[in-house]
Amino acid sequence: MRRAWRTAALVAVVGLATSACATLGLGGRGGDENTVTLWVRDYQKSIMGTLAAEFNATHETQVEVTLVPATSFVQKLGTAVAAYQGPDIASLDLVFAPYFASQGVLADVTDEVEALPYADDLSPAHVSQVTYEDRIYGVPFTGDVSVMFYNKTLFAEAGLDPEAPPTTWAEVQAAAEAVAGSGEDRSGFVFSGACGGCNIFSLTPLVWASGGDVLNADGTEALLDSEEVGGALGLYRDMYQAGTMPELVRTDNGPNAATAFQSGTVGIRFDGTSFMSTLVSDGAVDFGVAPIPGQDGGSASFAGGDVLSVMTGAANPEGAWEFLEWATDRDAQQVLADNAILPIRMDLLDEIYVPRDPRFQVFADALGVGYTPYSVVENELFNDNNGVWAGLIQDAVFGQGDIADAQRAAQEDAQAILDKATD
Amino acid sequence: MTAPVMAPPAPGGVALPRGGRPRRRTTLSRRRTRLGVLMVLPAAVLLGLFFLWPLAQTIRMSFYDWPMLGEHTWVGLANYTSALGDEDFLAAVGFTLRYTLIATPLLFVVALVLALLVRGGSRAARGFQTIFFIPVVIGMAAASYLWMYLFQPDLGPASALGERAGLLDASENLFATFTSALVIVLAMVTWKVVGLQMLLLSSGLQSIPVEVNEAARIDGAGRWQAFRHITLPLLRPTLALVLVFSVAGSLLAFDQFFIMTSGGPNNSTITAVYQTYRTSFIQFELGAGAAMSVLLMVALAAVSALQMLLLRNTDNA
Repeated sequence: MRRAWRTAALVAVVGLATSACATLGLGGRGGDENTVTLWVRDYQKSIMGTLAAEFNATHETQVEVTLVPATSFVQKLGTAVAAYQGPDIASLDLVFAPYFASQGVLADVTDEVEALPYADDLSPAHVSQVTYEDRIYGVPFTGDVSVMFYNKTLFAEAGLDPEAPPTTWAEVQAAAEAVAGSGEDRSGFVFSGACGGCNIFSLTPLVWASGGDVLNADGTEALLDSEEVGGALGLYRDMYQAGTMPELVRTDNGPNAATAFQSGTVGIRFDGTSFMSTLVSDGAVDFGVAPIPGQDGGSASFAGGDVLSVMTGAANPEGAWEFLEWATDRDAQQVLADNAILPIRMDLLDEIYVPRDPRFQVFADALGVGYTPYSVVENELFNDNNGVWAGLIQDAVFGQGDIADAQRAAQEDAQAILDKATD
Repeated sequence: MTAPVMAPPAPGGVALPRGGRPRRRTTLSRRRTRLGVLMVLPAAVLLGLFFLWPLAQTIRMSFYDWPMLGEHTWVGLANYTSALGDEDFLAAVGFTLRYTLIATPLLFVVALVLALLVRGGSRAARGFQTIFFIPVVIGMAAASYLWMYLFQPDLGPASALGERAGLLDASENLFATFTSALVIVLAMVTWKVVGLQMLLLSSGLQSIPVEVNEAARIDGAGRWQAFRHITLPLLRPTLALVLVFSVAGSLLAFDQFFIMTSGGPNNSTITAVYQTYRTSFIQFELGAGAAMSVLLMVALAAVSALQMLLLRNTDNA
């Protein structure tokens, strides 16, 4: 019965969305005209609350924040927008901006953005994600870049220099093997092998830093069969087969890999800015932060985070833009920096962010050289835990077959998805 | 909502002394009908609003190319033909059927054994009945997370316990192979839902008159013979209920696989509902997802009808 109800609920959700489409224009938003509504993923509760309070205290326009569960944010926003029940502003994970922009639900703010005095100092990766067919559909808001975290204590115990983190793939592998070999319950490296989104964030920097990519620049061609992708997958397979990873990596779809590093038994993990806050507040692991290296040196990072967009159906677009402008300006960005969140103003990083912790320099540098794959089908291509990308990692890292074969199959599937999206 | 429903019962008695017999009957039956309609109305409204109407909408959507955002266009039966030609969907359906074929007899046998064990109504029996039933009140999602954690390699207490008992290697990832992952999911589902089936079967067993069994004993029937020729046939209505519940539940399985295995390893544990979810909410193709839902619903209705028919016919024979 429980499952029957679930299906009924699923059907009901779809049905309600449909019905709202039918009653076009009747779903007017309540509230007075000075209020703008904003949707944000639930784990940003505290920072968004602080920002909203600050904004509301100094502006006539009032912003009203709604928290939406992170795992279903895209689905909820999509259905709400389709039902004309969406917010005025959405704080989107930047990888989803191309999809929403391509569907015409984000308002064009090109002129407003270009008129900002600091327009050229906004994080370039964020700006490229909110750009669709040469128009701009939002502003950068928060930064989150992927870097290498390593356990200094374990490095020292394994005879490695804790102040000299690995700078090539060979060094990453050597360090992982040294740490794994230094004790019974030690592991060298940990990642979430069954999580698509985690690996587009943490694995692709290896590819970029070596000169490769997973998609071409405009997101029309998949490059999953490239030599660099194969190399990065090969590195993971070698490390797995050498026994440097705990067994949970094979099926972890998110939470457990981070927990393993937090427990102090793992040498290296690639993760983002917020993981640093977690480790600092734990206070249990003495860790260092370094850029994710390329095959023979160099480095790259996934430039992630949120962008703010005004929705096309917004009842109060002027008020909404007022908040967007404020959120990218010094006061709001200072609040982010004060809460250990990476700001997206390249001109302010050295002043408001980096001085707070020497390790923050690594994040600031990473944002400047950060990449983000651009695709209107990001969700299906990379974030689906049962999709092409997650499947490629399963086959290539944990499978028995040839990595190149897995790459060929994934390339074919990925290209089919892209072709379907663009035809 | 409650006020009009509660009011009518009183006047029926007042009418008694005045009216003649036939007249009183019509008024009474009319009132009863009206009362019945009123009492059913809230449920009917809910059913219409949250089941029939969305169902109609789902059926309508299934004939459109209906992305989550943007224009929808009529495509006729294209969503159905592509679903029936879609390898991923067919694989998911195949897995769902296999899962149902394993889970249904497993749950049934365990539930029947438990029901026979707790028969008798002694204090201990009632105690065990409660123990077996408790997991039923836990949500499927909560139970899934619990068991997933219990069997996590290196972290999970059940893995550690298994190693001490010499059954497992605690660092071995049981979710990494199809068979072991399925075994854990089946164990969780059994633990979670078998209590309800046990309870249903217990009440079925209790409704069998003691005299029938006694008579059989006197005629010299053994335990097995009595069970085979007395208990099982008389239990048939309950069996129909339990089996229909069980099959419907298994065919609609989603939470346990979504949470515990994420459809892995290598997408081998994706169920039909899981694939519908992916189509609708990951690929954002609501029309195609709706077509899959409709196909699933038709299949489910057919299977349930067939079960009812089979169990009813044998009952009459």
